[in-house]
Amino acid sequence: MNAMFELCISTLTQGFIYALLSYGVYITYKILDFPDLTVDGSFPLGAAVGALLLVNGTNPYLTLLAALAVGAVAGFVTGFIHVKLGVRDLLAGIITMTGLFSINLQIAGSNLAVERSIDTIFTSGPIMAVMGNSSLIYRKFVVALVLAIVVKLVLDWYLKTKNGLLLRAVGDNATLVTTLAKDKGTVKIIGLVIANALVSLCGAVVCQEQRSFFSTMGTGQVVFGLAAVIIGTTLFRKMSVVKATTAVMIGSIFYKVCIQVAISLGLPSNLMKLATAVLFLLILVLGNKRKGGAEHA
Amino acid sequence: MKKMMALTMAMVMTAMALAGCGSSGSSDSESASGDIPVIGISQFAQHASLDNCREGFIQGLEESGLVEGVDFVIDYQNADSDTQLATQIAQNFSANNVALMCGIATPSATACYAAAEDKNIPVIFTAITDPVEAKLDSGNITGTSDKLPIDQQLQLIRDLQPEAKTIGILYTTSEPNSVSAIKEYEEKAPNYGFTIESIGVTQQSEVVQAADTLISKGVDCFTNLTDNTVVDVLPSILEKTNDAGIPVYGSEIEQVKLGCVASAGIEYVALGRQTGAMAAKILKGEATAEEMPYETISECEYYINSETVAAMGITVPEEIASVATDVAAEA
Repeated sequence: MNAMFELCISTLTQGFIYALLSYGVYITYKILDFPDLTVDGSFPLGAAVGALLLVNGTNPYLTLLAALAVGAVAGFVTGFIHVKLGVRDLLAGIITMTGLFSINLQIAGSNLAVERSIDTIFTSGPIMAVMGNSSLIYRKFVVALVLAIVVKLVLDWYLKTKNGLLLRAVGDNATLVTTLAKDKGTVKIIGLVIANALVSLCGAVVCQEQRSFFSTMGTGQVVFGLAAVIIGTTLFRKMSVVKATTAVMIGSIFYKVCIQVAISLGLPSNLMKLATAVLFLLILVLGNKRKGGAEHA
Repeated sequence: MKKMMALTMAMVMTAMALAGCGSSGSSDSESASGDIPVIGISQFAQHASLDNCREGFIQGLEESGLVEGVDFVIDYQNADSDTQLATQIAQNFSANNVALMCGIATPSATACYAAAEDKNIPVIFTAITDPVEAKLDSGNITGTSDKLPIDQQLQLIRDLQPEAKTIGILYTTSEPNSVSAIKEYEEKAPNYGFTIESIGVTQQSEVVQAADTLISKGVDCFTNLTDNTVVDVLPSILEKTNDAGIPVYGSEIEQVKLGCVASAGIEYVALGRQTGAMAAKILKGEATAEEMPYETISECEYYINSETVAAMGITVPEEIASVATDVAAEA
């Protein structure tokens, strides 16, 4: 098998999986204008719950639903602290994230491995019926692709419903929501619930793909999410045919590609992060240039 | 339809960019290596002990008669403590069909093993305390564990401080290695007439505060685990304990060099060499990773720091002084 092709497939797979997290960050950061740091806690929360249920024999698809549910609760807690208790947005996220660190340790310990004998969404159910003979990396690719697209379509649909429109209005013009006799706090909480449910779902998928949970796996996830959202939306800023969710998905893929390129270049490992930073900068600057504007990304 | 076109285009572009850059990288290594087997080393973090493991690993391969550049080439990558990065490094190794993957520390080893799930690439690990707990004990995988020689350490403390009753330990609650070591310390301490007073922290900024708390509880000494969060701020802990006149025992040579009184610990270069020797057997085809059980270091190394020992007014019994290396004299 061609190594480059295989590398493309596994990098795209990572991009699709992490697109789930990026959608969540897109909702809070872009739509609600809410810098939500809960992500660093709700991501490992999904992984912890997913891992624990998996090793106890739960159907791998049901663990995804469970992850959605606990992530929603995490988002609700942040929303409640911010809206009802009047704590500033950043701090509300920090509080939930900090608390979740201990909760995750309680749920799954510092490290929980999922044995190979345990089936995951990549080794059971519909994917085995359709392409059971293909190698695992193709199955992972297809499952990740389907998840990323299905979630994207559901989000696209939701954002067009009345409720979704209110969500978009809160970030742009909160007064409008109030004049419509709607409570903007409730709308914010709904946004945080959806966002963190998606982030937690992403954590559960990563845990099944890597067959492991680490209590420290949340570190830096919010940074990744922000980068993916900003790269995606900057690249496709003026292309109205590309939906924001699609742009975010591509942003996530771009990030993963940048990392993989930096690895493949074989740079001294101490320079990895610098190489990645330069790549990001290039993409953003070129993206801005191409659209003929020097506006802020 | 247009949307899907744009998406597909973007993906193809992505793939091409990747292929372009990737192939330039791999052709470099190919021109240097030809058909020489590549060993992919994924190290989880920049850390003195892990660096020692890696250096030892390469020494171990060479001691087994393999020559770097002739019999094997190394593709070394560091994940900078980032699990996402560890995943992508492992996938890179897997796609390039390396002859062997070496994962240094649990998250990197786990990522390598996951990337090799469908292929038969052997994985070798090192610097993992509990391979059974990490589910890395069966399959085409083997390696070495850096489980602390806790019995020897407790005996060492007893020999150096015959009157001591309580041992204080600081650890990070999120480090699996530390949590299992604490359990073992608590089980074994009574055998040597000690009780353990431990404090778990969640981040580095809490370590020094926790050290103050332990000192105020009147512990007779501290002992360290291989806990990265704690060991990274060891100099500030030592400042406090030196003021209070409390000896601190290290878990490996680097800590004794920094000013711990003594240690019955692991020498990570030796651990790496043992791992390298196992990897050499796999590369030579003498054994498979599947059939080799994981190994632990059987004998531990004793280190003392004669300067701090003198400052603490401790007398080192002859039978320990004769086998221990004095790192203060070395420096």
